[in-house]
Amino acid sequence: MKKYLSILTITVAALFVGCSDSLDRFPVDQLVEETAFVTVADLQLGLNGAIGNYSPNQLVAFNSIFTDNAGLGVDNGGQELNTLNQIINADGGDRGLWFTRYGAMNDFNRLFVSASNITPATAEQEQYNNILAQAHAFRALMHYELLLYYGVDMTDPSSAGVPYVDYVSATATPARNTTGEVLVAIQADLDAALSLFPSGFSDINFATPDFITFLRARIALETGDNSGAIGFTNTIIANYPLANATDYLAMFREDANSVEVIWRYDAVQGSNLLDTDSSLNGIWNFTGPGPFIEMSTELANTFSPSDIRGIVNIDPVSTPEEDIYIIGKYPINADTQAINDFKAMRVSEAYLIRAEAYAKTSQFGLAADDVFAVRSIRDGAAALPSYPNIQFALIDILAERRLELAFEGHRYTDIKRMRSVLNTGIERDDADCGGAIPCSVPFNSEKFTFPIPTLEINANANITQAPGY
Amino acid sequence: MKLKLTWLMTLFMAFVMQLSFAQEKTVTGTVTSATDGLPLPGVSVIVKGTSRGVQTDFDGNYSIKASTGETLVFTFIGMRKSEKKIGQSSIVNLAMAEDVAALETVVITGYAGATNSSKVTSAIATVSAEAIEQIPINSIDQLLQGQAAGVNVSTGSGQPGQSATVIIRGRSSLNGDIEPLFIIDGVPVDQDNFRSLNQNDIETMSVLKDAAATAVYGNRGSGGVILITTKTGKKGSGIKVQYRSLYGVAINPQTRFDVMNASQFLTFQRDLLPGTQYGDGLSDATIAAIAGQTNTNWEDVFFRQAKTKSHEVTITTGGEQATSFTSVNYYEQEGITIGSDLRRFSFRNNFNVNSADNKLNFSTNLTMNYSVSSFVVDAARGGNTGGQLDNPFIVPYIGLPYLSPYNPDGSINIYGTGPVSGGGSGAFNADGSINADGANGFQNTPFIALNTAAVNTDTESELKIVGRIAADYNFAKNLTVGTSFGLDYTNVESLFINTPSSIRGLITPNPGSELKGSQSESFFRDVNMITNAFVRYDNDITDKLNLNAAVFAEYNYNNRQNAGFFASGLNPALPGSGSGFAPGDLTEGDDNDVYNYIPGVFSSESELALASVFATLAIDYDGRFGFGASIRRDGTSRFVENRDGVFWSVSGRWNIDNEAFMENVDWVSTLKLRGSYGVVGNQTVGSRYQGLQTVNAGSGYQNTNSYALGTLIDPAIQWETSNQANIGLSFGFWQNRLSGELDVYNNNTTDLFQSQPLSAAGTGITAVQANVGDMTNQGVDLQISYNILRKSDSNPWDITLNANGNYNKNEVNSLPGEFTGNTLRNQEGRAAQTWFLPRWAGVNPANGEPLYLDIDGNITNVYDPNNAVYLDKNFDPTYTGGFGADIRYKGFSLNALFAFQADRWKNNSSLAISEDSGLAGFANQSVTMLNAWTTPGQVTAIPALSNGGLRAIDGDRYLEDASFLRLRNVSLSYNVDRKVLEQTKVFTGVRVFVQATNLLTWTKFRGFDPEGTNATTFFDFPVPRTFTLGFDLTF
Repeated sequence: MKKYLSILTITVAALFVGCSDSLDRFPVDQLVEETAFVTVADLQLGLNGAIGNYSPNQLVAFNSIFTDNAGLGVDNGGQELNTLNQIINADGGDRGLWFTRYGAMNDFNRLFVSASNITPATAEQEQYNNILAQAHAFRALMHYELLLYYGVDMTDPSSAGVPYVDYVSATATPARNTTGEVLVAIQADLDAALSLFPSGFSDINFATPDFITFLRARIALETGDNSGAIGFTNTIIANYPLANATDYLAMFREDANSVEVIWRYDAVQGSNLLDTDSSLNGIWNFTGPGPFIEMSTELANTFSPSDIRGIVNIDPVSTPEEDIYIIGKYPINADTQAINDFKAMRVSEAYLIRAEAYAKTSQFGLAADDVFAVRSIRDGAAALPSYPNIQFALIDILAERRLELAFEGHRYTDIKRMRSVLNTGIERDDADCGGAIPCSVPFNSEKFTFPIPTLEINANANITQAPGY
Repeated sequence: MKLKLTWLMTLFMAFVMQLSFAQEKTVTGTVTSATDGLPLPGVSVIVKGTSRGVQTDFDGNYSIKASTGETLVFTFIGMRKSEKKIGQSSIVNLAMAEDVAALETVVITGYAGATNSSKVTSAIATVSAEAIEQIPINSIDQLLQGQAAGVNVSTGSGQPGQSATVIIRGRSSLNGDIEPLFIIDGVPVDQDNFRSLNQNDIETMSVLKDAAATAVYGNRGSGGVILITTKTGKKGSGIKVQYRSLYGVAINPQTRFDVMNASQFLTFQRDLLPGTQYGDGLSDATIAAIAGQTNTNWEDVFFRQAKTKSHEVTITTGGEQATSFTSVNYYEQEGITIGSDLRRFSFRNNFNVNSADNKLNFSTNLTMNYSVSSFVVDAARGGNTGGQLDNPFIVPYIGLPYLSPYNPDGSINIYGTGPVSGGGSGAFNADGSINADGANGFQNTPFIALNTAAVNTDTESELKIVGRIAADYNFAKNLTVGTSFGLDYTNVESLFINTPSSIRGLITPNPGSELKGSQSESFFRDVNMITNAFVRYDNDITDKLNLNAAVFAEYNYNNRQNAGFFASGLNPALPGSGSGFAPGDLTEGDDNDVYNYIPGVFSSESELALASVFATLAIDYDGRFGFGASIRRDGTSRFVENRDGVFWSVSGRWNIDNEAFMENVDWVSTLKLRGSYGVVGNQTVGSRYQGLQTVNAGSGYQNTNSYALGTLIDPAIQWETSNQANIGLSFGFWQNRLSGELDVYNNNTTDLFQSQPLSAAGTGITAVQANVGDMTNQGVDLQISYNILRKSDSNPWDITLNANGNYNKNEVNSLPGEFTGNTLRNQEGRAAQTWFLPRWAGVNPANGEPLYLDIDGNITNVYDPNNAVYLDKNFDPTYTGGFGADIRYKGFSLNALFAFQADRWKNNSSLAISEDSGLAGFANQSVTMLNAWTTPGQVTAIPALSNGGLRAIDGDRYLEDASFLRLRNVSLSYNVDRKVLEQTKVFTGVRVFVQATNLLTWTKFRGFDPEGTNATTFFDFPVPRTFTLGFDLTF
């Protein structure tokens, strides 16, 4: 029996001693933050992740479905009803924009922190600088977007804006900065980006110097800096041609032309049809054209038959005789997987920005020329408009933007920006509303400013809710 | 040993009894056991008032000298004392009845093993083999439903082998693990996978409910512990061979909703439903013609009579020093819908041996099992929501009744029919070509579901091994050392094939690809190893004071690996084979630059380690007082900064029945007061690396490799702590004819693993999981059993009624931000999982508008989420339990068990779909929709259809009482009489039985099954009704 005793004693002793060291377990499939970012190559991976966390889809979906551009689809099984029914409150309706934008912001800010611990070799300096330039540019873009949707008044620098965040914290509870403070910080980021771009950098899949200029033009228009808007768009228009009908068709139907694109959010295989989170097509279609959201009948009827934009926007599988208009801007296309880049900045928008800025400074002839430049290249039958006053001009510019930028994330902010002059909100045609689907959002509705989400309010005592919520 | 003792006693008695006086006559007789009729050796037979006595021999015979008129007193341990007056006859036979009061049950308490129930200081419920054997429910955890007080069991799906969700004494965590730790023969096993294990192997299941029982499991014990002990042989019992079998049929549960038939639906579309749809413009005659030809009740197509069969051979051996139990089982069970089944082969061997001096014990337990499960696309499978159109259980709700399930040749149609505009399902174009979009569209739902079930593959093959080797050695007086090694090994191979020609295959990998179909396989391996060593000291310090103390060390290691691939573009001629996969670099498209068949691969691994030392102490004084204590220090790899936790308990008992002052209180057989307090933990919170801030590698912008921050963590994260107090009373009156346990408890969980809201603006993240929050469960457990009639010499009936119940009151005491959740909330000051919705107030008779109550209770016609209120309705039941009867008459026995859950509310989204007119253009609807408002003044529950689909603005319209009472199992069995069996010379036992499982369910819930594990029900796979018959043959 002695041997049993010794075996058991040894086992017991071994157990007592052997266990305590074996509790340090590190993940096999993940990295640990302390050791993840060591080289410039690691930073590049971080940039890839951060830009990947920026998505244009929420803005496209909201601006299309919340407004008069879309209607209930023939295959709707409950999808998108909240947005279509224009339900927006602190518990939802903003499509999570606050969280995704500040989430991606955090990724970029962490990238800055990681970058500060890395000293690039000479050969890596250009790549390192470009990573930082991209981070500055995207941080500016996202702050602009947040300000545009959640800010109380873009044109009043002292109004409540959104928190400007350029730090990494696990506990911060920032208050709203004023609109003016945010705008100043955005410009600083844009300046920083410009100073860091490698010379001649012009990859339209990323932020470039022209991206910066274009963003500045948008900001100028929204903030009422009309001369700024004219100046920035002049630069853009000088550098990019408008796409002719062939190019235009190729640009959208086959995702195969980019002559007029200043910046595109590049979709590749993987962010395709079957992935409804990232696919622009998936916003309103099931696999294949099975729409739960369609183009509104009103919009479909607005396109003149000779307008190439109608041919693009109204998918060929639509059945107009049954009032079924399938949105065709991001089609299945030849790759059969609905891989469509989001053409986020096109020169035609620059023309319409300039037109609006001209109109707002009473230069109606120049405004009409810019509108006509866009309208005529899309539709050979178009005639030169003339504007007796600002209302006429803005109504026409808004209408042109609706057609030119349909399903590109502009309709809601366009109506919002012009409502102070036009006194109109979102008005849906009778064919597209009724029942649970509201027909109108009055121009003075609180729904033109996004509410701060409840989750933020609950966690952040310093933030103030937008008026009306 | 027993034999030796008997001989010794006989000798002793013989010696003592030599002093005899009277010479009247010699009385002889045989003493047998009343329960089984077997002779009882060693029964003491004494002439009352004298010291004359003998013992029965091996055949139960005795012979004693006594005179007429004297009384013989028969005594035997465990049997009721019996007296017989000697009459004229000199033969006195006796069938002795068991003394139920004196027979103390043995309770399995954890590391201490089997303990006499009177010595237990904690709250433990025991479920014995008889209650669970041969019931056609192939998951051990499901079998606990209704069996024990405070154990709430719900099953999410009727898939054979589906694991249940078990909650003991209320939800103890909001975001961490809520289920108990399951331990089979000392080996912690996966709490969510029992499908491969054979429940007939189980001897007992002990449910450990309070800290006195669970603190010794440290940071895994806060949800309770379920100890499963499998069967062993009994020493000296020889070889026993048993063959058991079971045959059965399962059918769908009662349908508690009505959908329209073809005629109703088409007329509804034409006359009531706005918009354009197929029924519009059809004449009455046309509708009658269509409905006359096809009027499909899709329920009839999708439910089947599912077969169950089981064959099992067990061999039990018991020698002088070694015992063994071996079982081999084949089990096959079909689900009630096509494509769902489980086939299983199980093997077990338990072996125990001890040295001749009983000082060294060695045991092995080993079970090896292989099972193959086939799945349908049900709501519980994978990441499904239930809304998948290939879910068979969506079809009875939305399948169009005017579509025929048959091809013209009478076979089942698994593709669908022509264009929707012509009254078809849209799968084919007018020219007869297949329409991939239409085939995958809403109208084609029934055919998608049939198609997926018929031609696609979704299976899991599992190898499951649970084993343990243990030895202990009593090396010195009062001192024992022991060690054990245990293993839970699970290997699952999953296979998923979308056949190229299937409806889903048409759009896989994408609609435009030339080749179709996809196949994915994965290999999952989970290994849990545990090793334990202990030293135990056990001593009767005085004849009244016993002390038992032990010190343990334990190490637990888990490794989980998962790897697999996805490939697409299959060659239909090579099904299931890699040879048929399209090359990943194959290109298509106009410019030959489109990659449609890029395969996917993945591989992952994770680990978890737990190192612990712990000690237990048990003191007994005179059988009247007892004190127990335990302390455990657990170190876990899951946390970093706060790795080590200390958990402990103290408990005591007062066995009132053993007090001197109770000696004359005959009607009280058992009366014990128990109390315990302790601290237990729950480390199963968050990920396995919850203490480390991780960075995920993945694919980012432009599908490039990327790094992104993993879930933000709180580096100080640690286990949840449950502080548990329990006071219990164990009682038995009138020879334990009425017995039971009453417990009250108060469990307070602190350091809840809970979202700490963060400013998304400031941190980029909406919340971090941290140890914040505090929750209490208070309640009462009552377990009671009443033996109305007890079998005796004169009474062949034995009737026992039993019942158990739990009342649990949960309250969230504190949460950061006061609440979490949206419509189903955890809110401070309320029970967890409480509903928060705007109130539906019916239909305005004037105009058919839906009405709501605003926050103040005033009627409004505006739906506003801000009008949501707390409804005082919770998802978790307040009352759970079961009751039943055990009736025996001669060889017959009838057992019934009812289970219930009450005060439980679920959102019935399945019904909401069938009352959503927004879907009525392409989906069948509830017959209630025929009552939709049409005329002013009409009082109805269905708003005017012109209001469109209201499902998004329903409020609490479909929040339903999901309480239920279920006849869980009822069986009638017959044991063939022993005398008959003796004639056969083959069998020593024959039992035949018929049984019905889930036969009846009473509920207000309108659906197939109120049970489910989701607060919102969405086309769940219901639990079936199963009818079985079987027999057990013992040789």
